Amino acid sequence: MSNYVLKYAKGDAVKYISHLDFMRTFSRAVRRSKLPMVYSQGFNPHPIMTVALPLSVGVTSEGEYMKIGFDGDFSPDEIIQRLNASLPDGLCILDVKKAEGKEMDFSKIDRAKYLVDIELKLDISFDIDEFLKNDELVVLKKSKSGEKEDNIRPYIYSMNVDKKEGKMVTISMCLAAGSIYNLKPDTVILAMEKYIDGFAVEFFSVHRLCLLAGQIQYM
Amino acid sequence: MSFTEKDKILARVQKPTRYTGGELNSVKKNPAQVQVRFAFCFPDVYEIAMSHLGIKILYHILNKREDTYCERVFAPWTDMEMQMRERNMKLFALETGDEITHFDIVAFTLQYELSYSNVVNMLDLADIPIRTSERTENHPFVCAGGPCAYNPEPLAEIVDFFMMGEGEEIINEITDVYIQWKQNGKGERKKYLKEIAKIEGVYVPSFYDVEYNEDNTIKSFTPNNPNAKPIITKRIMRDFDEAYAPESIIVPFGEIIHDRVMLEIFRGCIRGCRFCQAGYVYRPVRERKVQTLVSLSEKLLSSSGYDEISLSSLSTSDYRGLKELTDALLELTQKEKIGLSLPSLRIDNFSLELMNKVQKVRKSGITFAPEAGTQRLRDVINKNITEENILDSVKMLFRGGWANVKLYFMIGLPTETMEDVEAIAHLAQKVLGVYFDIPKDERAKNINITVSTSSFVPKPFTPFQWEAQNTRDMLVEKQKRLKGAITSRKIRYNWHDSKTSYLEGVFARGDRRLGEVLIAAQKKGCKFDGWDEHFDFEKWMSIFKECGINPDFYNMRKREYSEILPWDHINVGVSKEFFIRESEKAKKAVTTANCREKCAGCGASVFNGGVCYE
Ligand code: SF4
Repeated sequence: MSNYVLKYAKGDAVKYISHLDFMRTFSRAVRRSKLPMVYSQGFNPHPIMTVALPLSVGVTSEGEYMKIGFDGDFSPDEIIQRLNASLPDGLCILDVKKAEGKEMDFSKIDRAKYLVDIELKLDISFDIDEFLKNDELVVLKKSKSGEKEDNIRPYIYSMNVDKKEGKMVTISMCLAAGSIYNLKPDTVILAMEKYIDGFAVEFFSVHRLCLLAGQIQYM
Repeated sequence: MSFTEKDKILARVQKPTRYTGGELNSVKKNPAQVQVRFAFCFPDVYEIAMSHLGIKILYHILNKREDTYCERVFAPWTDMEMQMRERNMKLFALETGDEITHFDIVAFTLQYELSYSNVVNMLDLADIPIRTSERTENHPFVCAGGPCAYNPEPLAEIVDFFMMGEGEEIINEITDVYIQWKQNGKGERKKYLKEIAKIEGVYVPSFYDVEYNEDNTIKSFTPNNPNAKPIITKRIMRDFDEAYAPESIIVPFGEIIHDRVMLEIFRGCIRGCRFCQAGYVYRPVRERKVQTLVSLSEKLLSSSGYDEISLSSLSTSDYRGLKELTDALLELTQKEKIGLSLPSLRIDNFSLELMNKVQKVRKSGITFAPEAGTQRLRDVINKNITEENILDSVKMLFRGGWANVKLYFMIGLPTETMEDVEAIAHLAQKVLGVYFDIPKDERAKNINITVSTSSFVPKPFTPFQWEAQNTRDMLVEKQKRLKGAITSRKIRYNWHDSKTSYLEGVFARGDRRLGEVLIAAQKKGCKFDGWDEHFDFEKWMSIFKECGINPDFYNMRKREYSEILPWDHINVGVSKEFFIRESEKAKKAVTTANCREKCAGCGASVFNGGVCYE
């Protein structure tokens, strides 16, 4: 058995599938590809697959990572080709690496880069650097254990307005991600609404660019 | 860059994948390159619709045609409908997301009567005029098929034409004629309808006039168009082994009810239970060959990636090649770690051994459907199962490690007395007795018996089509009596509310005058009537009142054999004479042998195929 890390994209067509649906969809694709999946032992064997940082429903990405075991040795190219022929539109394997030892450990991941498209209610101008000068950005943050007020400023590593045309704004951001602290772009937008005068959001969409370990892109 | 209304809506609803399409094996075509845009509508929510086998077959049959693009359209759940209406978004097809308002053909499959309000609601959401008479050249033809179409009359004012019986061929024929009509510059809708009225199995309600007697029964039913046949005969696939079966099926992202490969092993049923419409309208029984099924399974599993396969039919144990088939499937499934499920198996030594192989360690619940508590009543309904059969089977089960037994019954059956109702409790008690008679170390632990009852609804094309349904009071009384008669804590009792059965009974045997009621009900917001959380009985009753229609006329009334029934112009093969014979035998509690023991001469042999000629 060999372990592989797959880098994949989740596009518009499949952005609404939940993490659970994704896992089911993916294991069916592996079945279709006839790559010999490795199953867990026990009553109810299921394929062994781990996703680095499951995406929220509605979010697209071009930098997702998953670990999976196959019975046998396959070249990255063969895995890419066979899986892509079996996946539904919108899911695409971008890269494959054999994972040996601890070097590809998902626990090293501590941040993520996003592109966020925002439609504002009113066409206002604002200065993102002024926003970042706040020492404290306290907002209600959702987590597994419930909601609580939290200062999210230390977890915003960078933000930049890439484009602004009328009410439409595109902002790139690098935020803490992973098991230690996970900050979602949704929460940052809440903070912007609270701290920037007149900043009111009609609708937004999130796209994840990549996951990083420190300054280094994971894969 | 900007956001569409649909983006904004989808972010606000539950389970957006119900509306996005794009699933594996769904068909993509360029709509500009086809002649016919076909909307295949299932009037219920995605998870229910996608679990239905028929839609998968017809979807792929139509899409095999280069000139046609068939897309799926399902009832948006209420949260989605609210968003759509708020933003003026019309009903759209899943594949392209295009509104279906100006599609060519909009076809509904009618699987249960309680989905009729959804049919009307979907037309309204699509901005297609509800009444046949209001549609113009620019509107699609609205048609329907499926088991409920055998009594098409409640929807006669709404649906342009019906297709009777199995749809595999007829759906192509009406599409061919449509293309001719379109190529000839369309024109009057009637021109198209007149042409398809010639096709066997097509019923165009507007080509018939109905007159009523003073007592509201039907006086006459007459064609008003030279092409309209006095009797419309259903279509079937005579050689079912050769009939088209898709080799790939759409695989939904989210979980659906039947989330697996479904293998249709045969159509029809040899049994002839007198309450069961499916047992008659799908006659005669036609099987697929074992080799056909095995090779189909391989293809379906590898094209879908599913890890479970289920046999599909009205009664698995009646498939003659079951041993051969399951041997072959077990070999396939064990190699590929695929689950095999075998619904509606009769319990005997063979099936027990089979279940042991399939289920390995897990022992899930086993279901029995004696349907009635006494032998007399089981003879009335021709459910050929004896108490001895049941007790022998559960003994085998308890010894084999199963301890979870579900018993299904109907209450409100013709000739039923309180004694019959109480006998349900006694039967469950006897099942429990069997368990305790087995020494502790030889039986499974933690016995659990569930008794479930549903309320009997008389259906067209059954020997009980003339019977009165029990009143709601009567049914509630029977449920109470049964509950009181169950004394052991090991036996649980579930019953289904009788209110939905009441409405089901009205529409099952309804006539054309109910169309107005359906239209009024949609305006008042009736939808998803099959869902307890949406069904509003009082609202329905007030609508009947406003429309001046007494619903009891349809479901609470015993009919004479001589009465003209609203569905008398439809021929399912099984003759009215046969149903009368069966009805008389039922009154005397005399059973009828199944098709393989002895042909009862039901009339279905006119189709020249299947069990009648085995
Ligand atoms: S004609 Fe005889 S064998 Fe054929 S379906 Fe009817 S009863 Fe069964």
